[in-house]
Amino acid sequence: MFKFKKKALPILAAAAMSLSLFAASSSAATDYWQNWTDGGGTVNAVNGSGGNYSVTWSNTGNFVVGKGWTTGSPTRTINYNAGVWAPSGNGYLTLYGWTRNSLIEYYVVDSWGTYRPTGTYKGSVTSDGGTYDIYTATRYNAPSIDGTQTFTQYWSVRQSKRATGSNVAITFSNHVNAWKNLGMNLGSSWSYQVLATEGYQSSGSSNVTVW
Amino acid sequence: MRTRLTIAVWMIAMLAVAVVLSACSREAAGTESGKDGGLVFVEGGKMVNVRSNFYGKNVILSDYYISPYEVTQRQWREIMGNNPSYYQGEQLPVEMITWYDAVEYCNRRSMKEGLEPYYAIDRNHADPNNRSDNDTLKWTVTIREGANGYRLPTEAEWEYAASGGKKSKSRLYSGSNDADEVAWYWRNAGDHYLSGDWTWPAIENNRNRTQAVGGKKPNELGLYDMSGNVREWCWNWYEDGDGSAAAKSGSLRVVKGGGWIGDVSNGAISFRGKFEANGFGPDQGFRVVRSG
Repeated sequence: MFKFKKKALPILAAAAMSLSLFAASSSAATDYWQNWTDGGGTVNAVNGSGGNYSVTWSNTGNFVVGKGWTTGSPTRTINYNAGVWAPSGNGYLTLYGWTRNSLIEYYVVDSWGTYRPTGTYKGSVTSDGGTYDIYTATRYNAPSIDGTQTFTQYWSVRQSKRATGSNVAITFSNHVNAWKNLGMNLGSSWSYQVLATEGYQSSGSSNVTVW
Repeated sequence: MRTRLTIAVWMIAMLAVAVVLSACSREAAGTESGKDGGLVFVEGGKMVNVRSNFYGKNVILSDYYISPYEVTQRQWREIMGNNPSYYQGEQLPVEMITWYDAVEYCNRRSMKEGLEPYYAIDRNHADPNNRSDNDTLKWTVTIREGANGYRLPTEAEWEYAASGGKKSKSRLYSGSNDADEVAWYWRNAGDHYLSGDWTWPAIENNRNRTQAVGGKKPNELGLYDMSGNVREWCWNWYEDGDGSAAAKSGSLRVVKGGGWIGDVSNGAISFRGKFEANGFGPDQGFRVVRSG
């Protein structure tokens, strides 16, 4: 990340963990493997077979590891099983992706460690057995495929942590429609979409299969 | 008879020399210390570049002068007394520059060189035409019509110059159809040439950064880095569209040419970048023009 010193940046707490991240692809139902770290601490990520990945981390800076699809979709139902989800400190288990034109970064957060992300509250949506609060946040002067940009994040954050260890789904269209009803329109061009483990200044482990 | 002929030949020769000298002074108007500030003359007219957003539109440009290089950090420091750039180097383009910083530079440079400042800058009254939710400055900047000082190019002027003006060969990027010949962008602006899809981690790990101005091939007018290196602020609101009917208000200013971070598509002459006027980044700079 840039370490801007020129001016104080009014970045919201919810935005502080977010990153621009893209990576190489693999195969199977999922075709996208993401493994990014800012270099802090130790992050051991394993690109497992099919849609599986695992990661253990300790005393990290910021990292994101996940699996998903090169091209996101507003109608995709993302199935996953987080057999291990054990953050110690700050971490998210989240659907994550981007659209361009407009440039929007989005999250659907099912579970977290010590910090539940928030932003500017917009409303809520019930989906997949739980209720998610909807927030927006803004990232100022951050790197993107169109150069440095200021852009919006859309967040759906489950009100209470979702149980892990069984097969569950994120019906993304429910969130897309709820966002749309709140005037939160995603862009017309879909970049990648992943079910990710994101950590920030923390330790922990996760083992997730995505399909 | 022979004497008359000699005189006539001599006069014709001198006239020819005068014409050539005059033409030269307009093609490359002086040096950095000259009265034209090292700007290149751009003969106006209609857009020649068939790839331009302004091609076939009823936009006829007047003559103007444009800097062959992006404003360097040395040039910035000489005028402003500071250097906000993320990557430091005398011959690197200045970056981390907001649109407001750029118009202020134009005025200060004009005053230093005895020219009339082109902009009236009101820092105390928020511009009612600025509809941005993210711009916390919103200075009211208006044009002082007829002033001869430095200014930002309009989007049309930028595209026209990047296209090579009347000499345009309708290239995709400024000076070539091959971005690598003329532009520093995300693939080639670091330690190694990057392949695959655009990825920020790869760019960061590759130590991508700005490059000294003028390091790539110039375009048809002898202008460097119109594609790539740093994006360049233009005067217009992004909402102006093709410029045939300028918008009175907007929320974003146009940035052109792409920079070392963005995808190669950003470097195309026709690509319309946008940014809040108070936005800044290590890939955001500018170049100056003056009216002809």
